[in-house]
Amino acid sequence: MTWDEVLRFARGPLFQVALLIFVGGMTYRLIRVLLLGWERDRVPAMGSKSVGVLKSYLKGILIWPFIPWVKDTFKRNPLIYVAGGLFHLGLFVVIFLGTAHMLVWKSLLGFGWPTLSLPIVDWMAAGAIVAMLALFINRLVNPVLRMISGPAEWLNWGVVFLPLVTGYIMTHHLWFGYTTLFSLHMLAVDLLLIYIPLSRISHFMFYFFSRTIHGTEYGKRGVMP
Amino acid sequence: MTKRETIQERLSRQGVGRREFFKLSSALAAFLSLPVRDGTRVLGVDTITPRPSLVRQVRHALETKPRVPLIWLEFQDCAGCTESISRSLSPTLTDLVLNTIDIEYQETLMAAAGTQAEAAKQAAMDKYAGQYLLVVEGSVTTKDGGVYCTVAGKANDALLKEAAQGAAAIIAVGNCASFGGIPAAAPAPTQGLGVDQVITDKPVINLPGCPGIPEVYTNTVVHYLVFGALPELDELNRPKSFYGVTIHDRCLRRPFYEAGKFAGSFDDEGYRKGYCLYKLGCKGPTTYNACASIRWMNGLSFPIQSGHPCLGCSQPGFWDGGGFYQGQSAPLERPDLLAIGAAAGSGLALGAAAAAANRAQKRRARTERNESGG
Repeated sequence: MTWDEVLRFARGPLFQVALLIFVGGMTYRLIRVLLLGWERDRVPAMGSKSVGVLKSYLKGILIWPFIPWVKDTFKRNPLIYVAGGLFHLGLFVVIFLGTAHMLVWKSLLGFGWPTLSLPIVDWMAAGAIVAMLALFINRLVNPVLRMISGPAEWLNWGVVFLPLVTGYIMTHHLWFGYTTLFSLHMLAVDLLLIYIPLSRISHFMFYFFSRTIHGTEYGKRGVMP
Repeated sequence: MTKRETIQERLSRQGVGRREFFKLSSALAAFLSLPVRDGTRVLGVDTITPRPSLVRQVRHALETKPRVPLIWLEFQDCAGCTESISRSLSPTLTDLVLNTIDIEYQETLMAAAGTQAEAAKQAAMDKYAGQYLLVVEGSVTTKDGGVYCTVAGKANDALLKEAAQGAAAIIAVGNCASFGGIPAAAPAPTQGLGVDQVITDKPVINLPGCPGIPEVYTNTVVHYLVFGALPELDELNRPKSFYGVTIHDRCLRRPFYEAGKFAGSFDDEGYRKGYCLYKLGCKGPTTYNACASIRWMNGLSFPIQSGHPCLGCSQPGFWDGGGFYQGQSAPLERPDLLAIGAAAGSGLALGAAAAAANRAQKRRARTERNESGG
């Protein structure tokens, strides 16, 4: 089997299957969470729930990341906070604002959007990779983290790291042929798509649930985080 | 077998002097040290200085070897590769035909037709058994006994096997002969095959492209003449000297790729400025060919230089390799909405069923507890 054939397989049938597993799996997870039950709220609210939700999002996305030092989370674990933030930001920029990835979305959704120039996306990707390495080492040396890290945690890290690092090497033509790395990148992406519904990487979806629920609670009680 | 006249003997019989012969040797040697236009420029003129040992080797070959007999078969093709090769400028096809090769059979170019042509081919195959080069253009079809492509009433696969038997080596010209090309593209009613999928007991050298670059073909033939062997090949049996690097690696628009400057459509600002064509579907990064260095029409231009993204025509299955104008990063096919819907639907059904089962279990547990404990 030549790399050409591997690439066609990874971009073609395997990607289709991975995408279907991803969509089916995430729908399953979503339904399971939704059907856990909605208790009726019998307590009179002290404030507006929707304002609470709005404020919770604004603070979480637009304010805390820029003044992290006021938060206890940052004071206790600055490395995890900064590296974690850098990693998530980098991943977001790469996936949605990288030209090559926008073209993937365009082919799937039928429309595209303006993207950032390659050097910017590039630095973001490099930042994400460095952050992931830092988090890996931290998990390795921190005794508490090491005790609570099972195979799932290490696997989560690896499955996310592979597409990032193969993509970076590919864009820069660092080692091996472009076709080889393109194939490896696509295989890694297919693996990630299949793995997401089975793992806690699915928090990219459930994050919004937790933030909405917390925001509602805060709003209801008239307290703000 | 009588000793055949060497190329040098033939040339001197035709009145080509020693000095002219040396010039020819140097020129041929120069063609082999590709890319031709990479010589130093002196006073605005390209100077080509091939290694002396190579010139000697070429001269020796011309002095000792007879012309290379060549049989050219066309199957499921468009004769585009013949058209392309007849426009080779270094060496020209005329040079090749007059000096170094001896085309015995070529359906598009030869004057003879019908039974005479077939008889000439048979005669050549008998006379030069084990010595001739077999060139194949177009893909082979073996489906339904090869009825979809016949020449002189014979199925194409039978013709190929017959001609391959006495061939010293086989050159598959163009993507069709190399990998099946367009006749192999979905839905492929005739199931076109590359030559090396049919002939497995002879060396087959692939020179893919749609069409192939003329100089790649002529230089491969000259290489065979001079060294008496095929050039070094890659995993797809293509000469490494021409298919060793990607179009992307030698592309004149590469700096724009590195800087992230792309043309977004065929009439935007970026396109007019000559930016990278990646977003317009360029397959340069995964396409191995010499277009970007040798170029076409004596180095005049090549598709990307002329403003069109590379289609990847020297790669297997290029016709089914995703949309020509769709960025290469995109998946090969857009997923079927029905399939996506079905996946989401089954996820939903499974999730709902699992939730219902859980709830029933919970209710059962609650009633049991109520009954036992009150």
